[in-house]
Amino acid sequence: MNGARVEFRGLRRTFGATVALDGLDLTVEPGTLIALLGPSGCGKTTALRCVAGFEHPDAGAVLLDGKDITRVPANRRDAGMVFQSYSLFPNLNVYDNVAFGLRVRKVPAAKRRARAAELLELVGLPAHGERYPHQLSGGQQQRVALARALALEPRVLLLDEPLSALDAKVRVALREEIRRLQLSLGITTIFVTHDQEEALSVADQVAVLRSGRLEQVGAPAEVYDRPATPFVAEFVGTMNRLPGRLDGQEVEVAGQRLPVHGETPGTPEVDVLVRPETVLVTAAYDGEAVVLTSSFRGASVRLLLRTDDGTELLADLPAHDAARLAPGQRAGFRLVQRPVLVGPRTTVSPPATATAAAD
Amino acid sequence: MAPLTPAVPAAAVPAAAPPAGRQGRARRVRVWRGVVLAAAALYFLTPLITSFVFTVNDPVRGFTLDAYLEIFSAEGFVQSLLLSLGLAAATIVVVLLLTLPAMLAVRLSAPRLRPVLEVICTLPLVVPPITFVAGISTVLRWGPDHLAATPFYQTIIAVQNPAFPAVLVIAYVVLALPFVYRSLDAGLGAIDVRTLVEAARNCGASWPHVLLRVIIPNLRAGLASASFLTLALVLGEYTVARLLGYQPFPVWIVTISGSNAAMSVAVSIFSLLFAWLLLLVLSTAGTRKRSGS
Amino acid sequence: MAETHPAAPAGLPVRTGGGNRPRSTGWTGALPLLAFVALAFGIPTVALLGGAFTADGAPSTANLTASLQGAYLTALIGSVKLSAVVAIGGAVAGTFLAQAVVTSRFRALREAVLTASGVLANFGGVPLAFAWTATLGNSGVLTTRLALGEHGWSLYSFWGLALVYLYFSVPLMVLVVVPALDGLRPQWREAAQNNGASAWQFWRYVGIPVLTPSLLGGVVLLFGGAFAAYATAAAMVGTVVPLVTLQIADALTGNVLIGHENVALALSFDMIMVAGLVMAVYLPLQRRSARWLR
Repeated sequence: MNGARVEFRGLRRTFGATVALDGLDLTVEPGTLIALLGPSGCGKTTALRCVAGFEHPDAGAVLLDGKDITRVPANRRDAGMVFQSYSLFPNLNVYDNVAFGLRVRKVPAAKRRARAAELLELVGLPAHGERYPHQLSGGQQQRVALARALALEPRVLLLDEPLSALDAKVRVALREEIRRLQLSLGITTIFVTHDQEEALSVADQVAVLRSGRLEQVGAPAEVYDRPATPFVAEFVGTMNRLPGRLDGQEVEVAGQRLPVHGETPGTPEVDVLVRPETVLVTAAYDGEAVVLTSSFRGASVRLLLRTDDGTELLADLPAHDAARLAPGQRAGFRLVQRPVLVGPRTTVSPPATATAAAD
Repeated sequence: MAPLTPAVPAAAVPAAAPPAGRQGRARRVRVWRGVVLAAAALYFLTPLITSFVFTVNDPVRGFTLDAYLEIFSAEGFVQSLLLSLGLAAATIVVVLLLTLPAMLAVRLSAPRLRPVLEVICTLPLVVPPITFVAGISTVLRWGPDHLAATPFYQTIIAVQNPAFPAVLVIAYVVLALPFVYRSLDAGLGAIDVRTLVEAARNCGASWPHVLLRVIIPNLRAGLASASFLTLALVLGEYTVARLLGYQPFPVWIVTISGSNAAMSVAVSIFSLLFAWLLLLVLSTAGTRKRSGS
Repeated sequence: MAETHPAAPAGLPVRTGGGNRPRSTGWTGALPLLAFVALAFGIPTVALLGGAFTADGAPSTANLTASLQGAYLTALIGSVKLSAVVAIGGAVAGTFLAQAVVTSRFRALREAVLTASGVLANFGGVPLAFAWTATLGNSGVLTTRLALGEHGWSLYSFWGLALVYLYFSVPLMVLVVVPALDGLRPQWREAAQNNGASAWQFWRYVGIPVLTPSLLGGVVLLFGGAFAAYATAAAMVGTVVPLVTLQIADALTGNVLIGHENVALALSFDMIMVAGLVMAVYLPLQRRSARWLR
């Protein structure tokens, strides 16, 4: 099974007045797993369905290994798809579901069965062949759906939010398994999700979409550490917005001077985007901030601080460092000296509350 | 990974139209759907239109509305209609008084009775009404012989009072059970009775207060639909009444059809329009409730 | 549910049902209904069974034997045949109509057809019979205008009755099948396509098998409805089609032979057996389809 290169070229698709895809350009290299990430309505599912052939773009093309497949009917495309949920045929047992595509292609029964058994082994359900979908848990159903999508040895695997209907624990286990499978098969995979943690943890490349356009594409660490736009910065991970003042290639924020990365707005008054883990907090009686809340997260603790000038910000620190930082305590903080992203000033009220609520 | 510059000429990036085959298929589907709908409209509308024509078209005098004008002065019309309405009112009261407490009890404290209730309220759909009548008439025939010496004798005579045959109410309550059960079940399913009751009790409301001020107002749609369906059932019921020898409205229509065919059809159209109106009110009330929530 | 609250003041009819509940052990509220059904439904049933298995004052199966012979048997077979034709015809027509409605883009059409179906499915009985008599009866509008009588048309025949019965059977089928068609998830069609299946292959391997329980359930329901129908046939005076409901009515009202009441009861028993069989088929089908289309 070898992965194919998938290219989206100027893909446009509108539904009535809403624009789902607004000229999407993106290349997926052979054998990689790319996550299409974005809020709901950003066009990520539409893009995926254009590859599967369930949507027909108004303009633009989808290329598979350089070949235009835009007008190839869905049932003759070389792409296996896993749907969000409940896509297993309820009248067929697990074997027949997995072997459905083989049956359609008139593969002899014995061969179908052997192949289905092999695939079920692969997804970790070797003993469930005789069961019916309603007898399986949600996670098991999605494993079967994965096996079915792989049955015809497609060159592209399409995953349309396959984990969103599952429990948190199953979700994490299954996404790791999907990644393991993808790596061992070397199949090009497009994984649609709105969960940034999911995208960052399994993908080779993360493509962030917004309003039908590509905001940024890059390796997870790159997207997280060097977001190209404020939108990406705030959609991927948590961000503090602190008021700052531009001064040449640097910005003055919370009493420090940090280098600026990326574009700068025209005005000197800006918001500085700072990750919670780059805020270093120490307990200090004469510190310039007070701890408002402290939420324990196992290995780490997230603090909500308010500075004396009224700005609120979030800070993550290792749990054992936070012992003396109970709510009400005063603390000092410092920002890690590294390039930061700035955006136009939007902070009117204390900024962190919105971020904290959205988190 | 940089976005591609369009190296392909514009022509190679077509404004993708659906393949020609798809368009042809879509047209075929449309034509086929039109044929099905037209055939259905023809079949279902013809009897309604022609029966109206039948009532206004006198072979001798041409167009006339006599059939409709005569209805109200026809002998037995008022009497049989009043009997039917009276039976309907009694049936609605009895069936609601019996089912509502039972269904609340099942929801609140005896969920294990639920299957029993479900079976009981489905039985009348399984057992053909005519066999039910056969059983009732047997009881009514045997009763007087075997119960003559007991107080039940008076009861069995009383329920057959021709002025208001209570036996019909009993029979209609049984026949209405499935419809009432489904309406109320849907209504109770839409509200969380247990939470409502517990919240009200928690606020210090007494049980009668809970029932009158909390449950019944929230169940209005279900109660209305149960009542409407029962009304429609009683106004249209022929089998039981005819075989037990009473003359409510539907039996009266058949009786006069021998002497005045046009009028019996006119009354049929009337009762039909009335049933339609009832059910339309019902279904629009239902949709309004759904879109409102 | 044990409460210290005093019972509702007596005299208010609405309250009495709920007013008893505070002291109840839970199921007291259901007691009146259970008692009522036991009496109103139980006694006639016992009487029916007793009568059906009694001849000349002694237990006997003579009535049952008689009910399965001669004219009675003909009527029973006639009813089964008519119901079968109506059930299958109605199911096919209803399914096509439902599919036409479900695939339509016009929501108004869908609402209109569903509402009309709800009305028409309940529109059996006398008015239906008269509407058809006025249309296609011996002196009906269409019969006279189109001179159908000369071509041997009669509404009072087997096919005439079937035509009339379809009028409430097709809408009933629509009501049964529309939810099932709605329950066919678009993912299934797409997953099938994704696995290389054509539209026809989707229907053959997935669509039709998934719908089958609902379709069969509809057939069974239509059969039951047509089998039990009496008013429509009775109001179409002059029907020569032998039907078991007409036979029971005649025997009960002493129209034909005095003293055949017990045979009527035996015939009723036959009917209940058939209806029970129908339900025994319907319920498992219904359960299975509910599981698939949840």
